[in-house]
This record gives sequence, C-alpha cells and structure tokens, in this order.
Amino acid sequence: MTAGAASPADTAGLPDSQAGVLLAVEDLAVRFETPTRTVHAVNGVSLEVRPGEVYALVGESGSGKSVSMLSVMGLVQIPPAVVSGSIRFEDRELLGMSRREMNEIRGRDIGMVFQDPMSSLNPVHPVGRQIAESVRLHTGASRKEALDRAIDLLDRVGIPNAKRRVKDYPHEFSGGMRQRVMIAIALACNPRLLIADEPTTALDVTVQRQIVALVKELQDELGMSVVWITHDLGVVAEIADRVAVMYGGRILEKGESRDLYGDARHPYTSGLLHSIPRTDTALTEWLPEIPGTPRPITEQLSDCPFVSRCPLGDASCTGALPELTRIGNPGHFSACVHHDATVDTDELWPSVEHGVGDDPELPDHPTITIEDLKVHFPVHRGGRRNRKTTVRAVDGVTLDVYAGRTLGVVGESGCGKSTLGLTLVGLNEITEGSVDVDGQPLDTSSGKHRRTIQMIFQDPFSSMNPGMRVGDIIAEPLRIHKIGSSQDRAAKAVALLERVGLSADDAQRHPHEFSGGQRQRIAIARALAADPEVIVCDEPVSALDVSVQAQIVNLLRETQLETGVALIFIAHDLAVVRHVSHEIAVMYLGQVVEKASRDVIYDDPLHPYTKALLAAVPVPDPELGVDLKPSLEGDLPDPADPPPGCRFHTRCPVAVKGLCDKTEPQLAEIGAGRWVSCHLVDSPLDVQPAPDLNRSRDVPTESFRNGDQSHTNIDIDRD
Amino acid sequence: MLRRGLRNVNRYLLVFAIAVSLNFFLPRLMPGNPLALIAGVDVGLMTPAERAELMEQVGLNEPLLAQFFDYWKSVLTFDLGYSYRSGRSIAEMIGERLPWTLLITVGSLMIASVVGIILGGFSAWRRGKKTDLSLLTSMISLQSLPSFWLGMLLISIFAVQLGWLPSFGAETPASGYVGWERVRDILEHAILPIITLTILSIPGAYLTMRYAMLEVLGSDFIRTARSKGASERRVLFGHVARNAIAPVVTFLAIRFAFAFGGSVIIETVFSYPGLGRLIFESVSGRDYPVMQAAFLVFTVAVLVANLFADMMYPILDPRMRVR
Repeated sequence: MTAGAASPADTAGLPDSQAGVLLAVEDLAVRFETPTRTVHAVNGVSLEVRPGEVYALVGESGSGKSVSMLSVMGLVQIPPAVVSGSIRFEDRELLGMSRREMNEIRGRDIGMVFQDPMSSLNPVHPVGRQIAESVRLHTGASRKEALDRAIDLLDRVGIPNAKRRVKDYPHEFSGGMRQRVMIAIALACNPRLLIADEPTTALDVTVQRQIVALVKELQDELGMSVVWITHDLGVVAEIADRVAVMYGGRILEKGESRDLYGDARHPYTSGLLHSIPRTDTALTEWLPEIPGTPRPITEQLSDCPFVSRCPLGDASCTGALPELTRIGNPGHFSACVHHDATVDTDELWPSVEHGVGDDPELPDHPTITIEDLKVHFPVHRGGRRNRKTTVRAVDGVTLDVYAGRTLGVVGESGCGKSTLGLTLVGLNEITEGSVDVDGQPLDTSSGKHRRTIQMIFQDPFSSMNPGMRVGDIIAEPLRIHKIGSSQDRAAKAVALLERVGLSADDAQRHPHEFSGGQRQRIAIARALAADPEVIVCDEPVSALDVSVQAQIVNLLRETQLETGVALIFIAHDLAVVRHVSHEIAVMYLGQVVEKASRDVIYDDPLHPYTKALLAAVPVPDPELGVDLKPSLEGDLPDPADPPPGCRFHTRCPVAVKGLCDKTEPQLAEIGAGRWVSCHLVDSPLDVQPAPDLNRSRDVPTESFRNGDQSHTNIDIDRD
Repeated sequence: MLRRGLRNVNRYLLVFAIAVSLNFFLPRLMPGNPLALIAGVDVGLMTPAERAELMEQVGLNEPLLAQFFDYWKSVLTFDLGYSYRSGRSIAEMIGERLPWTLLITVGSLMIASVVGIILGGFSAWRRGKKTDLSLLTSMISLQSLPSFWLGMLLISIFAVQLGWLPSFGAETPASGYVGWERVRDILEHAILPIITLTILSIPGAYLTMRYAMLEVLGSDFIRTARSKGASERRVLFGHVARNAIAPVVTFLAIRFAFAFGGSVIIETVFSYPGLGRLIFESVSGRDYPVMQAAFLVFTVAVLVANLFADMMYPILDPRMRVR
C-alpha cells in the first residue's frame, strides 16, 4: 500500500530519510497561554509523511493529535497559541510563513476535513458555492467554471443527482452526505496532502465504512497523501500504512501499521489494544483496564507523560523525556525506558479480576415486558399543504428485560433505540402497545416506576446540573422519592461515591471538577441511588476516552453482578455491546429486525441488516486484509416516511423485487429463542446453536419471550 | 416561503385583535365613569341630563357587545372619532402626524443600522485590539446618554451657537417652498432629530453585530473557510457577516418599536409635529380619544416591525425556509 519511493529498509534510523518526504514535522511544540493557565498541547513531535501514503495519528482527546495538524495548516489561533519547531511541506518551511503565502498553500496543496460535518459547513451558503469558493480561490476559474467543477466533485464523492443538489444547503443533506461535501471541498484543487481530523467519529459505522472507502479510493486515484487523525484503532487498522500513537502531546510509538498492531512495544499502545472490546476475539469476563484518566499538561513536560497510569512506571521514567528509539522492525520506534520488559504485553495488561460471582439464573418472569410498543411523534413539515406527518420512532417493538441480565439494543442513529430507552423511563408518551413492569403497566407518575427504572445518559458533561454538588446530584433521586432522612441520603451518596471508585470528599465538589470518566461514574452512582430494578444506559461510554471506556464497562458489569439490576444497553458500538450484553436486539427504522442471544447474533447473524452492521465494524488488526467495500449503501430512510414492505429493502443487498418491497415481513421465531424479520431467512429449524466462544456467560436461548406477532409467513413456504 | 409569511400574518392578526380588544376594554374596566375616558369630557361639571345625553351620543348605554362591534367597525374604517380639544377628526390628525414620525424613526434606524453593522463588524475583526476596545467603550458610554439631554445639546450647538440648522418644527411655516426647495427645507429640519435618534440607536446595533460576529467567528465552518485558503477579509465578509446579520435584524425591529415610543421625548425636545408630540399634547390636554388612537397606531407599528423581522429571517437563514 505504501506508494512512496522509500522502502521500509531505507527509512531505518532516526530521523526518517528526507528523500521522498512530503511533510516533515520536527520538534513541534504548541502551548496555549490563557490568563488562567498554560496548556502544553504538543511537546516535541516529529513525524514524516511520504507521498501517497496514509499516515494515522492516533490518540485520545487532549493528546495533541489535532493541534499538531492544525498547526500544519496554520489554523491554531496565534496568540494564545505559541508554536515552535519546524514544519516543512515539500521543502518549504510553513512556520513563520506570511498569511498570504499560507493562504495559497491551504486548500490548494493541503486540504482538510473536520469531525462534525454539520457545523463545519456554512449554513447560509449552498454546498455548490462552498466547493466553488475553494476552486475560485486557487485557480482563477470563473463562477460558471467553478460551479461546473463543484458538480463534478459532488458526483465524484458519490452524491446522487449532483447537478440538482449543487444548489441545496447543508442542512438538506444527511450526516454522511455532508461529510462527502466536506471531502469535495478539501479535494477541490487536487491537493497533495489531505488532513482528515476524526472524519468519521460523528457518523454511524455503516456510513463510516462508506467514507473510509471513499477516501481510500480517492487517495489511490489522486496519488495524494492522507493524514488520518482518530481515536479509533479499528479504523486505523483498515486504512493506515503507518501509524503514530500520541499521548500527552508526544508520540509514544510509531511505525508500520502491521508492526504497531502485531508487535506493540509501548505500554500505552498495548494497553489501548488490550482494553478496547473487539468483535473478532474471544470474550473475556473483564476487560483489562488502563487506570486513571488523561489530564491536560499544564507544566513543561519533564517525565514520560504516561508514567502515572503505566504498570511499568517508576523512577527511571521521570526526570527526562524518553526518546523515540528504534525497536523491532525497521521504522518501528517507541519512547519507553522499559523496552525489554514490555515484550509480553499480555502480562502487562491482565484482565482485571473483579470476582463478584457469576451471572444469576435466568428468572422465570421478566422484569419489564414490552409488548408491540409504538411511540410516534407528530411533526410539522410545512410544505404546500402544511401537512402534519408522524415520525414512527418506535413502531411495534416486543422485548423482555430480565433481572441480572443485559439487553443490548443496536442500530444506526435514527433507528429508534434511544426513543425506546426514554420511553421506558417515562420521558416519552406511549402511543400504542404496552410496557409492563413487574406485571403492572408502566406508570410514570412520580413515586411509581420512575424509581424502579433509572437512566444513564450519553454525555456526562451536559446531563448534570453544573450548579449542584455531586453529593446532592446523587441523592436527588432519593429526595424525589422521599427515601430516608437528609442524613441518610447524604450517607448513601457517600457510600455510592466510594462504590463507583470516587472518594467521600468528592460529594462536596461540582461536576466541572471531574473528568468525563469520573462524571460517568457519578452518573452510575446517581442511577443506583434509588435501588432501581432496571437501568437504561444510553450510549454510556461513547463520549469517553478510549482508555477510560473499559473502566466504565467493567464498573457497570460489576454493579450488575452485585445488585442483580437489569441493564438495557443502548449503543452504536457493536464491540462494546457484544462485551456487555446477554441478549441483543437489532433495530431498524423503529422495528426489531433480529433478536437473539449475544453469541448467536455475533457468530451467525441472519438478517441482512445485522450482517451489514457487523461487517461494517472496523477490526483493529491490519493483517486481516480488510475488504473496504461498504457493507451498506445509502442512508437511513426518512423515519416519517418508511419504505413500504420490508423497511430495509431499499438498502438490502439481497432484496427480492415484488416481495420485499410489497409485503412487510413479520418477526418470526426461526430457531430456539431466535427471532428474525426477513422474507429471505427460511425457517432453518435445523440451524445449529452457534459454537460457544470459551465463555461461561452463555445465555439460554429462550430468553426472548414469544412476541404476539403472527408467526405465519405468507410468502415463504416453510415445511 | 410565501405560505409561511401568510401564516405569520395570521399570527400577527391575532395579536392585533387582542391589542384592539384591550384598547376597548381598558377604559371600561377602569374604576370610575368610563365616560371621562371615552368621551374625554369633564364629566363632573355636567348636569345628569347632559351626561345621559352624552352617554347616548357616544353609545355607552348600549350593550357591551354592541359597543364592542361598533368599536371594531370604527377601527377598521379608520373612523377614530374626534378630538375633544380641537374637535378635529382623529384619523386626520394622525394622518398628518404619522409621516413625520416615520421620517425620523425609519431614517435614523437605517443610518444607525448601516453604521452599527459596519462598526460592529470592524470591531469584531479587530477583537481585543485597541480599536475594538476604544470603540466598545465609547459605544457603551453613548448608550447611557439621556435622549433629551443629547437633543438639547445638539440644538444648543448647531441651532443656537452655530445657527446652521433650525431648532424646531418640521418645515419653515408659511415659506411657500415647493419641489426641491421644500425637500431641502424638510431635511434641514429633520437632521437634528434624526442625528439624535441615530446616535441613540447605533450602540445597540453595534453591540449586537459585534457579539454575533464574535460568536460566528468561533464556529467550525469559519475554520473550514480558513482551511480553503480564504483571506481574513473574505472569511469576514463571505462567511461571518452573512451569518451574523440575522440577530441584528431582530434587534432593529425591537429598536424600531423603542424609537417609536421614544419619539415622544425627541419630538417634544425638537417641537417636531409627529405622533410623539401628538401624544404629549393629548396627555397634557387630557384628550383621551386622541391618546387611545395614538396607542393603537403604536401597537400596529410594533407589530409591523416584528412581522418584517419574521419575514426577513427565512431570507437570511435557509434553515428557516420551509421545503
């Protein structure tokens, strides 16, 4: 894949050979000086990007990966940013270049794509004009010529009906389409370097796969280099030729992609690779955890930035910054003083044994029974007839939730999974169907089931009242439900704080004093306060840093084993869901298309949508030789106007004309405890139970109660 | 888009109906004899027979509902009754006065918005620098000037000391000017009130624009524009200003209502024969029918200004347009 002239052997030694280097960053340092404090965002970064390669910059938030590349573009604000070092692009020094010279390079030689495609496009200009602006700035093309070029580009990045859509505004496109527009802008002048800053983080896995494939394809076609900034080790494995892992504003390890994944030498890299849940390896009871949390660096760095969280950290790690030294294969460098000790990374990051017993037996009766639940929202569309339409966010869902078990709910954004969760805690009105809690209809008036069902939200930053002390936040459910005296409540809040790994003193502090992972611990404590029977977790780890996710996943699992609480785990990350769930329900446009026990779904998905979702999950292993063909084309259809027949038929690779687009399939039991809603899945009652992956947490397949859907399938003949 | 505009108009018609109804009910709900408020007569000096006759005359002895319909009829036909003091038709009086008030308020707002937007934009561009800070400081000081004081100051400088401009009236009485001469005369009279109102309106427009610009400057799409290689000026005019203008339009609508109300003071200071001065005169003469009619005109003016702002929004922001 490395299209550069240099073979790996030529680039042994430090620094990399200057021959055939497109971008050379040397000893880059960036600090932000605000009146209250100084943050050292980048602390001596050196890297070289060769022509025609994909270079991945991996790190958590605050690792300095984005700031480094924004410095290349001259897009860090100066002041308060102080930038030093050297950035050479095609042998021209970019640092200290005049604004005018820099403007010529930006957009013409280096294009950039950002994370959030909605906010990164100007809302008041049509997309065509925004692409044409790039063209006109650098080529002197006329308005007409530039617009023609914009249409070509839109077409090239895969926007259907480019000629018509060129006049549309950004808000009229879906998230994935907007990111395609961003790519068209960045590529308008055929740059030699494309910097992509977390370009797929805000997108669904299926759309992520499309965007990754598009960039790879365009890169081969245009022969440009790509710097791909991300926190997602899975995506990196799919696309990168070479990788640099950043932490605390330093590169801790860099090398060829296969060396980094196959032979990670730095404790941080191996820690990350061990702690992320994946879909391709055997399940372990507990994820290895990296302790602590990443902190911004506010003083001149003099120790290894990872020392406080590293199992090998000792006195030799402090006092001097470990330099990148060559290790293993040519071009593989790591900055650690303990290289010899880090060879066996499995021992370095053992699975954390929490040892609180096994899963309880499956109870006879479910805690929550969801029966043909429908939640519809009226929306005003305006338009010629000012029609009112209905978004069928949840449209006929039948599920059971059992004590001590976790039900994973997955699907693309817009599939209704969050609406389902919010309905269970009483934040949405039920349109039709029923939700029974312990045999009683869900009553969301105060003092009833609101206590029984608690919720953990995605964003721990915005879901807590910033004016309240943490102790009061945790005790609030108790106060609302009038449980105990105020001393009892305070004592319970303290006990819960200690339970989730924080200290008693933290009760007096405010939410802003905590990191994201700590806040999610507080959210868990708050959810546990009222002794609920069920906790709805809506994307509980997706806003957290990768190195912190394992801690929270383990904590949730641990509390479940201790308290026997039922969890509903709503997430788009299929690897995390696989790790925590006993049963899985896959949702598409408000309906469950497949449900079964965890191992059955992951080992042998039957519904084409489940297959596509799983195929889209990036696997952090470059050796797999990933097929970059998108597993699913297009976007989720408008939930207010779902396609007739099978809702998935518009995107289904195997849809049968005349059947799938006409007749709606019913969710039918096609094996023990295994439910699929597809015309093309025959009732293979001879389907063997999927082989168990050396796990004790196996689930009886009867865990899903029979729904009331018709079991007869009129179109497919069954024996 | 037109559809949406019409929906807006419906909403405004409803507000208008409520305002008119309030205008009808308020004097009738107030303690004491509504006759004084509606007919504007020194009721205490009359004999009971005279009072009854007057009640009959203004229709106060009819059922409330009938009065209500009569009131609506008169509002919709612009038959606003007669002034108690001068005996003239109120509709006619307002028709005479309204153009003058519109001239100085709309004129000053247009100048103030252009100056305020330019200065606000410039200030945001130079954010944190000396020019920005000194502009900001002077705008805040300007904002705190009392309007009557500013008006009197301008009169004393330009009319009394320098003698360049007239100090009162809307045109020279009995001058017999026609055509361009008259236009010039009117403008000469309008300059000082307009300058006063403009100076008072600029800080608001400036502050709104500056703040909106700063907010837009921090947006992600500004970073995108820079990453394309757009110059700072292009970023500012092509991307920032266009997005920042919407809040300024809202501000101008509110400011228009404010200026309309503020015209009472300004027109009194400059003895300018506009609606504000009419109100002043009717208040001091306790001419209730005129006051009521003038309030109605104010209500309509405020509604129209807000409707205008609402209609401008979809033009300025495509996200507000209905597909």
